[in-house]
Amino acid sequence: MASDPTDLIHRAQQGDQAAFEALYRQHVGRVYALCLRLTSDPAQAEELTQDAFVRAWQRLASFRGESALGSWLYRLTVNVVFLHLRGARRRSLRVLTTDDPSALERPAGGEGESDGPAVALDLERAVAGLPPGARQVFVLHDVEGYRHEEIARLTGVAVGTSKAQLFRARRLLREALNR
Amino acid sequence: MICPDMEVKLNEYVDGTLPAAERALVAAHVAGCAGCRAAVAELQALLAAAGALPKSIPPRRDLWGGIAVRLGQRATGNVQRAFWTGALAAAAVFAIVVGTSRLLPPSTALHRPAGQGWAAVTADYEQSAAELVATLAMERGRLRPETVALVERNLRIIDAAIRESRAALERDPGNAELRQLFAAAYRQKVELLRWATRVATSS
Repeated sequence: MASDPTDLIHRAQQGDQAAFEALYRQHVGRVYALCLRLTSDPAQAEELTQDAFVRAWQRLASFRGESALGSWLYRLTVNVVFLHLRGARRRSLRVLTTDDPSALERPAGGEGESDGPAVALDLERAVAGLPPGARQVFVLHDVEGYRHEEIARLTGVAVGTSKAQLFRARRLLREALNR
Repeated sequence: MICPDMEVKLNEYVDGTLPAAERALVAAHVAGCAGCRAAVAELQALLAAAGALPKSIPPRRDLWGGIAVRLGQRATGNVQRAFWTGALAAAAVFAIVVGTSRLLPPSTALHRPAGQGWAAVTADYEQSAAELVATLAMERGRLRPETVALVERNLRIIDAAIRESRAALERDPGNAELRQLFAAAYRQKVELLRWATRVATSS
């Protein structure tokens, strides 16, 4: 099977599910990591990962290649997650959180593993324990590299609110990591 | 310990988003303040650690099976889904027409006494609009990007009109003209959403 990304994208756009599966295999770890960090809920992250790939399949025809497929897919994933979270808030008038930050523990050896896995794991746990709004902005800004203007558009909050949530998240993380 | 009122500036300092003049002032302060200097070092370490987190985390199980099933279902379920999407849109429009009719002036047959049902009208509107917006969100990938942009731009204009009408009505609840204006704005929003949903589901 050809593994050239451009060829895979073209074939997937023509309806080739095997090609789309190959694209899924290339990107699922990144999509799942994003969903997991935004929700702090492994089961929900799995569902949202599936939703994101189904949505990507539905919209693949609109991908014109101006950006890398990954960038397009991760942005679509963020949209899927926040569409879900907004719906959940409306339905239940509560936001998602985790009672079990250790749920973020993962098998060692993931792509991009740093020299300090213990430090990274401490940070993962601390991030998982943040209040949802602060956690989501921290993940998007400091982990994923989004700008406040993009975060405001994606999450439906004001730019000033995004900044305030980020600074709050950093303060809480510094406190947690200094304990 | 960070100096009072320095948290925002220190964050913007490490983010590199301060204007040059202000950045120089903060740098001078940090050079002479041990507490703020320590905070800057912690923030820089935190940002470095966040940037070094693994970008990829494998899920606990293979998720492809569930995705493949849904891709297969979609191919055979288009007609059924289009029917339900259309039915949802029609139901939402019906609800909004009933809702907005409560706002009409006394000369209309569907009039309700002033003040009665305001909360119900608002709830009807919000629920119906939310359902249509959700439907459109699911289907917007079928619309051309320029069409989506146009719909969103017009929705923002209509939403602004709704907000202004609502605010004016709160100041003058008995004003029949304002109630008509409010109802007209509602109808415009529903008609726009209905059109966009119809185009998306038929494309």
